[in-house]
Amino acid sequence: MKLLLLLPIALYLGGGLKRPLFVFAALAELAYLGSRGIQLGRLPLIGPHDTLLFFSTACALMAIPFLFSRGVGGSSPFRWGVSLLAAVTTLMALPFPAFNMPMPPILNTLWFELHVALAFFAYALFGIGAILGIVYLQRAERPLLDLQYRAALVGFSFFSASMTSGGIWGYYAWGTYWLWTPKEFWTSILWLYYGFYLHIRLKGQAWERGVAWGGIIGFGVTMFTYLGVSLLMKSSHSF
Amino acid sequence: MKQFLLTSYNRLASLDLGLWLLAGTMLFLAIGSFLQGEGSSINEVPLLLWLREVPLRESWWLWVSLLFLVMLALNTVLCSIDSLSAKWQRGSFLSRIAPQAMHLGFLLIMVAHLQSAAGSFKQAVEVGPGFGITFADGSRLVFTDFSATYSPMGMPTSLSATFTYPKGGGTATATISPNHPFFYQGHGIYVKDVAPPPMKRALVEVHREPGAGMALAGGLIFTVANIVLLFRRRGRS
Repeated sequence: MKLLLLLPIALYLGGGLKRPLFVFAALAELAYLGSRGIQLGRLPLIGPHDTLLFFSTACALMAIPFLFSRGVGGSSPFRWGVSLLAAVTTLMALPFPAFNMPMPPILNTLWFELHVALAFFAYALFGIGAILGIVYLQRAERPLLDLQYRAALVGFSFFSASMTSGGIWGYYAWGTYWLWTPKEFWTSILWLYYGFYLHIRLKGQAWERGVAWGGIIGFGVTMFTYLGVSLLMKSSHSF
Repeated sequence: MKQFLLTSYNRLASLDLGLWLLAGTMLFLAIGSFLQGEGSSINEVPLLLWLREVPLRESWWLWVSLLFLVMLALNTVLCSIDSLSAKWQRGSFLSRIAPQAMHLGFLLIMVAHLQSAAGSFKQAVEVGPGFGITFADGSRLVFTDFSATYSPMGMPTSLSATFTYPKGGGTATATISPNHPFFYQGHGIYVKDVAPPPMKRALVEVHREPGAGMALAGGLIFTVANIVLLFRRRGRS
């Protein structure tokens, strides 16, 4: 069944040339995720296979409004950027086994699903913001920076909601809304980082390139929070 | 003197200082994430007790982070005051208030952490049938039953523990399971593990988290204000 994912990967790459192919790729991956959800009877959010696919699908779905926006829709580097992001993250999911185990009782709550899903929506928007930053550094077109800001602000909203729902889940599951574990450290760092990014923008036009770089570095912090902590550090959140 | 106070105030309320403080907090939290080894007791005792008990070579990163956070809190308050007084006559009420409500949410979250750091409590207890947990007023929860079911692969799919507790002059029964704790006298009772049948034993934890309500209020205020800001800035560059 995993081989079905080669279809969205190919379509994403084609999406670099034609936007409709990107939309078909997103729909194909969404259908795969939907079938996993039906098979499991829950949102597929456990293990690197499912989370990478969820992240990839979130990237694709969040990118669609930008792809068809007036500001950046026609930009070939942006199209290729989001296509590669979605294709590579889908490809990364392939080597990992798809876990079909029942949901552990501690994760079996709406608060957990909400927490993780909102975090991935945020990560996806931070990724799109980074691509917009790269394109801005090449072209120095101000609307790209405005779109990056919007992506980051919407992502920050999702991330704040994710942290709140995670705190509620933690309180009901572990007895505390906060634990000093590497994942919590990096989640806080990421939250503070995007607070930092949104404030840099207040420094005015002289800082425009700095803001663009801020969005790019932010995605690096995002990826470390998601993958780096899980792969390199021991945490109760690891996959 | 007046000039000195004014300069100090402007520096303390400045965006530049806020950015440096955010950067410093991130840096020292990142260092802490690598220094915090397995087996640390940081999650086992209230944070302020942990800070008092462990040697400085283990906790220095948290002391520095706290210093940055205290300064950041002050910077946030002063920045909000400045911003509100400067923009009170401009723009719509929601546009003026939303960023400051986000600041308020952030400050409430910090106060919540301080409350929990000072007054949280955690105790793990292994219990069996008839085992009681006694509270400060002498009232007791007495465990009566446990249940656990497993998947064919041996993974637990459900766990629960049942106990009686004093209620209105008599006793009542409650059952706890993962994500469904029981709250009694300001404490949460959580079941962490149940031994497979026929053994009748469970690992239970008693928690008190005094900052939880304020943290939730802070998180909600921050998130709602963030969404309001998003809608107010829709269509604006």
